[in-house]
Amino acid sequence: MNSFQFDDGTRHRARHEPGSDRVRVGDAIVTVQADGPGRFVASVEGRSERLHAVADGDRVWVHWRGRAFALQRIDPTRAAGTAGAEAAGTAQAPMPGVVVSLQAAPGQAVAEGDALLVIESMKLQTTVCAALAGTVAELPFAVGQSFQRGAVLARVQPAEATR
Amino acid sequence: MKPIRKLFIANRAEIALRIVRTARRLGLATVVPWHAADCHGPALQQADQTVQLFGEPPVSAFLDIEGIVRAARDSGCDAIHPGYGFLSENAAFARAVTDAGLVFVGPGADVIERIGDKIRARRFAVEHGIPVTPAADEADDPAGFADRASAIGFPLLVKGAAGGGGKGLQIVREPARLAEAIAVARRESERYFGDGRLFAERFVERPRHIEVQVFGDSHGNVIHLGERECSIQRRFQKLIEETPAPNLDPQLRERICNAAVTLAKAAGYVNAGTVECIVSPQREFFFLEMNTRLQVEHPVTECVTGLDLVEWQLRVAAGEPLPLTQDQLRWHGHAIEARLLAEDADAGFVPDTGRVRLLRWAQGPGLRIDAGVTPGAPVTADFDSMLAKLVGHGATRELAISRLQQALHESVLLGVTVNGDYLARVLGHPAFARGETDTGFLERHREALCPAALGDAERRLLLAVAARALPEPAARPAPEPYAAMGAWRN
Repeated sequence: MNSFQFDDGTRHRARHEPGSDRVRVGDAIVTVQADGPGRFVASVEGRSERLHAVADGDRVWVHWRGRAFALQRIDPTRAAGTAGAEAAGTAQAPMPGVVVSLQAAPGQAVAEGDALLVIESMKLQTTVCAALAGTVAELPFAVGQSFQRGAVLARVQPAEATR
Repeated sequence: MKPIRKLFIANRAEIALRIVRTARRLGLATVVPWHAADCHGPALQQADQTVQLFGEPPVSAFLDIEGIVRAARDSGCDAIHPGYGFLSENAAFARAVTDAGLVFVGPGADVIERIGDKIRARRFAVEHGIPVTPAADEADDPAGFADRASAIGFPLLVKGAAGGGGKGLQIVREPARLAEAIAVARRESERYFGDGRLFAERFVERPRHIEVQVFGDSHGNVIHLGERECSIQRRFQKLIEETPAPNLDPQLRERICNAAVTLAKAAGYVNAGTVECIVSPQREFFFLEMNTRLQVEHPVTECVTGLDLVEWQLRVAAGEPLPLTQDQLRWHGHAIEARLLAEDADAGFVPDTGRVRLLRWAQGPGLRIDAGVTPGAPVTADFDSMLAKLVGHGATRELAISRLQQALHESVLLGVTVNGDYLARVLGHPAFARGETDTGFLERHREALCPAALGDAERRLLLAVAARALPEPAARPAPEPYAAMGAWRN
């Protein structure tokens, strides 16, 4: 049994019946025939559509009528979500990139909205600002270093907690 | 001037391949460089020879004047084509190339200095009676720059004097934002061009961006190859370009094209160049800047003129006269180009990275695709996010739009988020069909350009196929980068 999550956070189950072209999605049965590498013909209720798809680790990419969708494959055995662990003072990278300059130093007191560092990804420069007032606890990346999407770029210890 | 026999292409991705193709057709041998972070480029499989460049970050390898000239000389080349971006508009590079006894495929260093610098080019335009927008140059009085910029009035633009391609460009709508805009523009300008000098000018509301392709030779001839409309932009970067410009009356077109030729002639311009203008809703036009190189969007001009601009560049660089006179040029039909970028257009044009897991290009009449990626290629933040250019061509604008839409729908690139569907939605917007293009188009129609929500039936289809998806299809294995390298002739 596979669960997939769309961009909007909705999750659905889809189960391929082994040895057949049938996939059960909720209450519906969709016939999916392989039609060349990465190419499929899906039929449901008399309607047939051509789609392309490829698996890429936990992601499955599906192309349909010019649109590409990245579905996340959810492993039900793994702990769900890290959202609760995200401290309010942690700035995560919205995209992969490189650090252009540091605007603050560890130990420095910052106000909400103060610039912490400037990052760049594919021609786009963004200033990462403190989400709350406090003390800069950590700036893990040096100028010129690159980082992946989701990397922690800065940690600010909230003002209350430093007293 | 001596003939060119072996050409070094100081570039990568689609433009390197595009230059290799023409060079090979003309009987020239080609050498294409690569970096360890970028060894899947299609030009590397087509070039006669490849050369590894080094540098960290990887982009620095393509900005290393000494390293590139040495690589070209060591590989026995007699000319260097810079492509676009990187060192293509760098006068010091052009000079280093000629000082090394090689031919630079582009204008001479003196011409780049005269006309490639925005500030000098504006002065030059004013001297030759070509209209420009009110502006302030930081170099005239650095301490008073902010005050002089404010005096132009808001909204205004702050940008790097040496820049291009929208990099380092800031639009300021209120005085309170000026100091920050100056800081950002300076930082980006220093980073991209190694030159932090700034420039501010009046921002024309709802402008159209129209540019003219010009060509000069070393015999004093200068002609234009028509205009291109490049108003569909996001963050001052072009996404869709076309020729001819829609809804541009013939008198205004002629005035703009003639002004471009006047400017290029006065500058002693040699080789391919582009004169960029903005056209206001009141039909005023202002000279913006001149790009002293081949443009990304040159294929639309090639489609309607039937010419090969790289061939012209190579002939002119070898000292030949322009192959045609102004009177001999003919334009046929309409061509539109869309830039396929690795970004999530629906999430605010956020760049994405990944690896090309599945790749299928559409095919059909009136379609040209210049692709810079191959199956298995990593898409990183090390280089530009443009993966390919798709061009639709036809007898009418409607046919060109329709062919390009079909190409965007039928092309498949999975493994990194691309903007193909967004581009198709722009082409499908009624205002685009009416030719109501200005640089605010994407922002003004933002809501209408959002993707349709998925229905239950559609989700079912996607989920069912997702459940059967496999890793990279075995029939098209992505080559191991280092194994592939061993097969290259080097």
